Amino acid sequence: MNKPRSSIVKKILIATGLILLVGAGVVWYIFNEKFEDTATVKADQSKNATELLSEFRTDLTNANKQYTEKILSVKGTVSEIEKADTTFNIKMSDSTGAYLIFAFQAKNQQDLLSIKEGDIISVKGSCSGGTFSKILETFFVAFKRCVIEK
Amino acid sequence: MKKTILFALLLSSVTLFAQKKTTTSGTINFDATTSTDALPKAENKAVVASLDPKTGKLAFEAIIKSFEFGNPRIQDHFNGKGWMDSEKFPTASFEGMITNLSTINFAKDGTYEAEVEGTLTLHGETKKIKLPAVITVSGKSFHAVSEFTIKLEDYKVDGPAIAAGKVAKEPKITVDVTFK
Repeated sequence: MNKPRSSIVKKILIATGLILLVGAGVVWYIFNEKFEDTATVKADQSKNATELLSEFRTDLTNANKQYTEKILSVKGTVSEIEKADTTFNIKMSDSTGAYLIFAFQAKNQQDLLSIKEGDIISVKGSCSGGTFSKILETFFVAFKRCVIEK
Repeated sequence: MKKTILFALLLSSVTLFAQKKTTTSGTINFDATTSTDALPKAENKAVVASLDPKTGKLAFEAIIKSFEFGNPRIQDHFNGKGWMDSEKFPTASFEGMITNLSTINFAKDGTYEAEVEGTLTLHGETKKIKLPAVITVSGKSFHAVSEFTIKLEDYKVDGPAIAAGKVAKEPKITVDVTFK
């Protein structure tokens, strides 16, 4: 009579142990999950910088729906390079003053040292969307986790 | 003649320091970590800011989806309806004035403590706020840093993760801007 009961208890303990192990594994995975390196992610779309800015200026709502949180490959002329202690941003502007701004992954900032204003480059990054800046009175579109495409 | 040249130089110098300065690469660090969760921490590297040394007007604005988290799931939660609801409220902004402007000499190198009062708009809510800031003047360049906390409930940010204590109810915000 005791034998089957002990076997059931054993099975329950094993099942509980397995559930805890799987649970711990899921938690560990969630806590350690990272973004994939943008360099290895295929771009959802390739765009010309001037055309992309024109789309945001013409219909901000629609452009945000279409491009926000998408990986875009953007080709254009560097209009400004903004460096600070930990940041390295590149801008591409159009004739109206509207601009795209690309914030680079820290590990890729070394690739930017040779880039200068006026260079035509392709940048791949995650589009954070665009807005109208009340401070600058112009449109801007921001990108994060960017890399230079070679 | 000499007096005229001297006057012209003085005038141009005053005009130069009185000009409103802007940047498009300011940073805002958001730190809502708690003892049980070290993940809610992010940086926005494309903050637009302006400072008018003549009037003391200081402003900044940021796209919420520009906040970069190390963890993709936390970033999704941050932008989701339980937190910032960035689809509905895509930007945050601050407009204010330096209230002790007379103690800051933008024409002289040095580090100055500034008191800023204004309104912060976040999650569609606009609240009055006082910010301490440290402004470092170095030639024509001004570097301003402000560290402060906000109460998320003041901005009606009250998702389950906040109630469960996984996200700090009063996250630390650090704004760091350099005007060249």
